[in-house]
Amino acid sequence: MFLWPLAASVAASFTRDGALTLANYETVRRLYAVDVAYTVGVAAAGTALTFAVAIPACGWLRARAFGPVEFLLKVPLFVPFVVVGHALRVFMSPYVPGFSSSWGGIAVALAWKHLGLAVLLLLGAFRSVDESYLEAARNFGAGTGRVTRDVLVPMAASSLAVSGILIFSSMLASFSIPLMMGRGGGPQMLMIDVYYRFGQHGDFATASALGVVAYLLAMGAALVYVRRLTAGRHA
Amino acid sequence: MPDVRVSGPAPGLGRLVGRAATLAIAAFVVAGPLASLVVWSLAERWTAGSPWPQRFGLRYWARMASGDFLEPLRTGLMVATMVTVLALILALPLGYALARLAFPGRTVVLLVFLLPQAFPQLPVFASATREFYRWGLAGTVPGVVLVHLVGALVFAVWTMTAVFRAIAPELEEAAWNLGASTTRAFLGIALPLAVPGIVASALLVFLYSLDEFTGTLLVGAPFVTTLPVYMYTASVGYELQIASVTALVLMVPGAVLLLLLERFLRAEYLAFFGQV
Repeated sequence: MFLWPLAASVAASFTRDGALTLANYETVRRLYAVDVAYTVGVAAAGTALTFAVAIPACGWLRARAFGPVEFLLKVPLFVPFVVVGHALRVFMSPYVPGFSSSWGGIAVALAWKHLGLAVLLLLGAFRSVDESYLEAARNFGAGTGRVTRDVLVPMAASSLAVSGILIFSSMLASFSIPLMMGRGGGPQMLMIDVYYRFGQHGDFATASALGVVAYLLAMGAALVYVRRLTAGRHA
Repeated sequence: MPDVRVSGPAPGLGRLVGRAATLAIAAFVVAGPLASLVVWSLAERWTAGSPWPQRFGLRYWARMASGDFLEPLRTGLMVATMVTVLALILALPLGYALARLAFPGRTVVLLVFLLPQAFPQLPVFASATREFYRWGLAGTVPGVVLVHLVGALVFAVWTMTAVFRAIAPELEEAAWNLGASTTRAFLGIALPLAVPGIVASALLVFLYSLDEFTGTLLVGAPFVTTLPVYMYTASVGYELQIASVTALVLMVPGAVLLLLLERFLRAEYLAFFGQV
């Protein structure tokens, strides 16, 4: 159900009018090179913003368990993507007109949605760091900020990297949030391009080539899943 | 869960202020956008440039009783019910097999059920839509159910595998030793023990289907409309109030699930997240 359409889209990306060709990728390069860069940029900014909030928050929560804040930060996990897009659009638009459809607005909305996942993953990683390291740092006079920066983050580095890759890939592939945030002028997110290329131009071949570019960019996430799976088999 | 000991600065006024300030920031960041949905859903008149709506009212909530809102709600519930039933029928035996049997290709099967999570879905759904046109499934409820099943099975198979893994195999072995057949041991021992996990899995799948947007938009258009698609259409038409009402309604099942999971099913749910 998933593999077959996946294979069909990869195959279609290399054919045009029944012949094997790279012409679709040429179209992608000509029309969408800017959008590819834009998408990577927005996803990177969104991921950075997510961590900029999640790391201090989780460091703070690691030092003192405080249920209400932890609960609030996990709420975005349970809010559907479409709702997030709309909520942030109406939240921002009366006060900062035009911001919601800009790259900054999309990055903020993506960061908001992924905050829940980031907190879930990071707090788990931070809590598995042994308390004795934290006590040692505190005995030398380190505050929560120092402990987070110099002990928790380095010791949870691999978990941080994994969550970063997962969140980045998810942002690259996001469709409903940018769609709900509205279409400003200028570059678009990749998935929006795929949608319009397919839905309005009926150009499945180019849409598929764009899709393949997205698959490749999201390969990091796929590799993370594969490694976890093979590691789990031996455990 | 490793041993978690929590220590912090000595209690005092500063600590209290720190907690209150953090709570306030978190509440603004997380609840702010959600609260603005409530404001918008009640705003009968809000002209550009004004920081606050000029007139509040329940007019847009009253529109919920109309057919153009109830119809997508009904369609969505019907689709979600079918998706949940089908996903469980498929995931129960599959999850059991993945948890208990070490058959060749087990890792590959697990991987196949992770791919939809790892890869961008939209181009794949676009491709599926094209295939569905050929079979007359595009724009039909069965087509939407099929496209929902792709994502739903990821949730269902992984939670069911985790659930069956958590049940000690010795219990079934004991039943075999007493002469029960494999089927009988499964139906009499493993299945009843798995009921809380099955409920959790069903809730997750039901919620996923109710909120699914991308696949429904592509495959269902133009005849099958669920609430997320209805909300998108309203928002594109600048009916922001209607979209806000719909958004609030769409959050209800998620909120219920959040509370249920916090209270009853937390461990299984987190185990699932830990595995993925």
